[in-house]
Amino acid sequence: MPSFWLPLCILFPLAAGAALFALPDRSFRLLFGTTLAVTTVTSALVWAWILWGGEAAIALIRFAPELELLLKTDGLGRFFLGVLATLWPLTVLYAGSYMRDQQHVRSFFAFFTLAYCAAIGVAAAGNLFTLYCFYEFLTLSTVPLILQPMTSAARKAAREYFLYSIGGSAFAFVAMLYLLAHGASGPFTPGGILRGEVFGGEGIARLFWLFGFLGFSVKAALFPLHRWLIKASVAPTPVTALLHAVAVVKSGAFAVIRLTQYCYGTELLADSWAQTAALLLAAFTVVYGSSLAVRETHFKRRLAYSTVANLSYILFGAMLMTPAGLAAALLHIAAHACIKIVSFFCAGAVLHESGRESVFELDGIGRRMPVTFACFTVSAFALMGLPPLNGFVSKWYLLAAAAESGGVAWIGAGALLLSALLTAIYMLTAARRAWFPDRDANLASLAAVHEADWKMLVPMVLLTLGMLLCGVFGEPILRAVQAAIGL
Amino acid sequence: MLYGLIFFPMAAGLLLPLIGSRSLRARNAAMAAACLINLAFSGIVLLRPDASARLAGFAGLGIALETDGFRKVYLLVIAFVWLMTTLFGLEYFSHYRHTNRYCCLNLVTLGALNGVFLASDLFTALIFFEIMSFTSYTWVLHEETPDALKAANTYLAVAVIGGLVALMGLFLLQHHLGTTEIAKLYEAAAASQNRAALYVAGGCVLFGFGAKAGMFPLHIWLPKAHPVAPAPASALLSGLLTKSGVFGVLVLSCELFRSDPAWGTAILLLGAVTMLLGALLALFSVDLKRTLACSSVSQIGFILVGVGLMDLLGAENALAARGTLLHMLNHSLFKLVLFLSAGAVYMNLHALDLNGIRGFGRKKPLLLIPFLFAALGIGGFPLFSGYVSKTLLHEAIVEAIGMYGAGLLSALEWVFLFSGGVTVAYMTKLFVALFLEKHPTRQAEFDGKKRYMNGLSAFALCASALLIPLLGMSASRSMDAIAEFGIGFFRSGPLEHAVRYFTWENLKGGLISIAIGVALYFGFVRTVLMRRENGVRVYVNRWPKWLDLEELLYRPLLLRWLPGILYPIARLFGENRVLTPLSERILRASGAAAAMFGENRVLTPLSERILRASGDAAAMFGENRVLGPLWDGTKRFFGVLAHAFSDSLDALVLLLRKTAYRDLTPEPEDEVRSSPSYRLGKQLDRIAVNRGAEKAGENRYAREAYEKRREIRIKSRRITGNMSFALLMLVIAVSAVFVYVLLLR
Repeated sequence: MPSFWLPLCILFPLAAGAALFALPDRSFRLLFGTTLAVTTVTSALVWAWILWGGEAAIALIRFAPELELLLKTDGLGRFFLGVLATLWPLTVLYAGSYMRDQQHVRSFFAFFTLAYCAAIGVAAAGNLFTLYCFYEFLTLSTVPLILQPMTSAARKAAREYFLYSIGGSAFAFVAMLYLLAHGASGPFTPGGILRGEVFGGEGIARLFWLFGFLGFSVKAALFPLHRWLIKASVAPTPVTALLHAVAVVKSGAFAVIRLTQYCYGTELLADSWAQTAALLLAAFTVVYGSSLAVRETHFKRRLAYSTVANLSYILFGAMLMTPAGLAAALLHIAAHACIKIVSFFCAGAVLHESGRESVFELDGIGRRMPVTFACFTVSAFALMGLPPLNGFVSKWYLLAAAAESGGVAWIGAGALLLSALLTAIYMLTAARRAWFPDRDANLASLAAVHEADWKMLVPMVLLTLGMLLCGVFGEPILRAVQAAIGL
Repeated sequence: MLYGLIFFPMAAGLLLPLIGSRSLRARNAAMAAACLINLAFSGIVLLRPDASARLAGFAGLGIALETDGFRKVYLLVIAFVWLMTTLFGLEYFSHYRHTNRYCCLNLVTLGALNGVFLASDLFTALIFFEIMSFTSYTWVLHEETPDALKAANTYLAVAVIGGLVALMGLFLLQHHLGTTEIAKLYEAAAASQNRAALYVAGGCVLFGFGAKAGMFPLHIWLPKAHPVAPAPASALLSGLLTKSGVFGVLVLSCELFRSDPAWGTAILLLGAVTMLLGALLALFSVDLKRTLACSSVSQIGFILVGVGLMDLLGAENALAARGTLLHMLNHSLFKLVLFLSAGAVYMNLHALDLNGIRGFGRKKPLLLIPFLFAALGIGGFPLFSGYVSKTLLHEAIVEAIGMYGAGLLSALEWVFLFSGGVTVAYMTKLFVALFLEKHPTRQAEFDGKKRYMNGLSAFALCASALLIPLLGMSASRSMDAIAEFGIGFFRSGPLEHAVRYFTWENLKGGLISIAIGVALYFGFVRTVLMRRENGVRVYVNRWPKWLDLEELLYRPLLLRWLPGILYPIARLFGENRVLTPLSERILRASGAAAAMFGENRVLTPLSERILRASGDAAAMFGENRVLGPLWDGTKRFFGVLAHAFSDSLDALVLLLRKTAYRDLTPEPEDEVRSSPSYRLGKQLDRIAVNRGAEKAGENRYAREAYEKRREIRIKSRRITGNMSFALLMLVIAVSAVFVYVLLLR
């Protein structure tokens, strides 16, 4: 493959996103059609690169001997690229129906395309500096998406998201500086690039790593830095579904993995107090997110709390700092992406068709929207971790990795199980209401509610099938993931 | 063929709604045909040699199936019972709504249940077990009444929690032993060093399967779910689905903990409690199907006693193993007949309350004879099949006494006989109410109902019932032959000599039970559990309402206490700014604490119950003098304490607001002229005047400069009040330290 291919994958959506601003705001069909075409072509380019691209490093710009924009797709990067490239066009298709009656659609589609560019950049970044640049770009390009409804709640949410993200990247910046000061600016290497004697002793190095961990974890919604994610559920559903369940939050987790396994190195961090702190924080967030999801009655916010918990599953797996833990974390990245995007799509379909936002208003709606809620029910089972769905496979390997590590990890294993139980409560209560309403529910008000249209249903159904297939063929997928990260 | 047993019914089930949307008759015919084909499959599997099949990589761990004697027999039982309930259901469901849903999930459940019994790997068993749980959930809520919804919620909760805990257990097994394959468990466990970990893992798996079986203390769903489910579904839930739970327990006991006396004792104790408690619950119940449901709990207890004995007896477990297998089979048959009879009653009267349905069975031989057969069978009367399995279990207890000596085991023997007696008593209660007594007002109407069920339903009922005496009378041929099938699966040793069922020794146990039952019926049921109202004796429910494990413990634990633990923390971080309203947050947290003690979050529901219980106790001894005031005093004391705590925090907050956190006061106006920016602007104005651009005295630059400065101050105040600003400051500080450290190098 020619070496300009990968930069093309990034520059094409960038240019196309900028060009979208030139289209008229009124013609929804044109905007939607263009965006769908652009994202589909980009995904095709990305998939071609994943399959035949190779691992050569491609330097874009060199600012200084130690600072260069470098693209390189190792197995981890290709995996994340694959997740993104699969989900993005599907979400655009969904938005084609969801955003139809909304205001400011031009900026929505334009920034949605720009965010795609940023996310690809994060996944394809070859060193920490590049990753940091695209990470910031991702923040900037997603703020307008939260702002899109232009209500006061949306403004507050966008402001909060922005401030949290900037604060977080500042921390991450410190961690990066520490690496640069050691001349460790090279491309990501499994096992880390921090070699030789570290200044200030290992304790200081671990402290700086912890700064970076916390900084990147802002996007991964680690407690107590998760508030922005809950508020951001005011954004339109395609944004909450793709960005706040997959692209943005998982970029955070991805960056943490890059920082830990590929920069500071597990040799330095494993079995240290810093690892223990990270594990405990993740384990706590797992229980915390699930508990709050049980208490939350706003449908989308409940799912957002569930995202908080599930992101910490991923962080927990990665912070075990074993190959098995990393593989399980990656598996859960893909599994949770699929599951959560479907459940958000369902919540969005309900919101779009009936204007209902609360779980208590779901009574009986499943019979009016059977396909939507069939998908939701499957995603609920998958999120609980029932075999043979994909959520089960990833959780099983997470538990196995935790058990293998022993020690503090057992606390995390306990947290995972408790959380599975709480997941069952908060997902199934919603599903139960939708299918089997309470007797005193007002079913007459449902008469005007209809099933969502095909642009919403197609992504949902496809991804639901994906959940089943990824579950049934869990073992080959795990092998592929293990091969990708070089095990 | 093995896959066919699982996937054929599932596929057929998924097709039924499509047929059903065109023609209900065609759908019913298709469903009956599918059940028949399934029966044929099971028959073929029974005749063919043992087989196995494996689908590697499925859902991460792969699924594996196999057949052996026990599984083959049970697959046949399943197919038979399913066919009978389906035939009966054709009439029963003719006036129901949502029958397409029922038919579809009926067959999917059949496939899943076949899967459980075919599984040669615990993991495979659990996959099908979970599918079965979720599809049968819709049976329980089929009528969608409030009671049904509540019972279904309980059922779902037990299924989900049980499933997840079992999954945890499997995970631990996989971790410690490296396998969940049933045939390998024993060797792996024998090689394992860490016995305690195995008990934990086994306990988790037992929790999951025991919950489905109805084992104490997880039996709560049974007495609620069965009365509200449609009768054919109740028959399946009680007769077969509970057996899938027993299957799991059997795997644990026959393989993982084979001949482990500690495990055997635990199962034995749980079984004994289940057996006695279920029987007592059934005795007190005044609802036909609820009685049968509690009876299921009790009979599962009998089976578990057998399972426990198998482990206690080690190599000489032949009697216990045979008793267990035969009692499982018997119970499936009895409950099939009994629930279908109850269904026939409900189909006509839409009532299940004993006072409302009494006398309905008079002059209805097609109802009376099957019910009588099943009642005699479950009561353990000689010549009926229940007698055989109970005698075997009793023999096994006697054998265990011989091995371990008397003591607790002879207590167990009496519990066993007593539970048998209670069984006789409650079945007599049902029989007398249905077939001997007369309804005070509607008897003529009842007697007039000649067409109380159609031919197909009657066939299903009578054909099933006939098996009971047939098996019982040819026990030494038919039942012993069936028991032989279990040898491989149960790992039972050789039988020393054929059991002679009709010797005095063996008859004695049955007769003692029957005597106890008769005494209980006349001495307890007809005196304590009945009351004379308006000259008519009616059945009353004497079981205390508050004595309900679910309401007392499980619901508060899951819905309030567990998610409630983290709630104060959540509220602490509920808002995003930290500095100014920190005190307010502490206040709120302490408010939560106060609410915890003062009002109701955790302690009050509990204490209310204690209070209620103690109130009951006090009421027995006369007036409530001591406990009530004591409790009030305690509550008041904590209330005062909490208030004092929060009040003192109020004071602290006020103090902070006056000092460190006081609002910044606006700048006084007379400071304007002394501010540097104003002076700078003044100078600029002067220059402008000198250059002739402005008139003197307008002060344009001075005003603008001052406004700018004010704006900057307001903005910076907003920014400094922000958490992210705090973070940024921290980062800058850290960076400064860092740069300093680097320079030092």
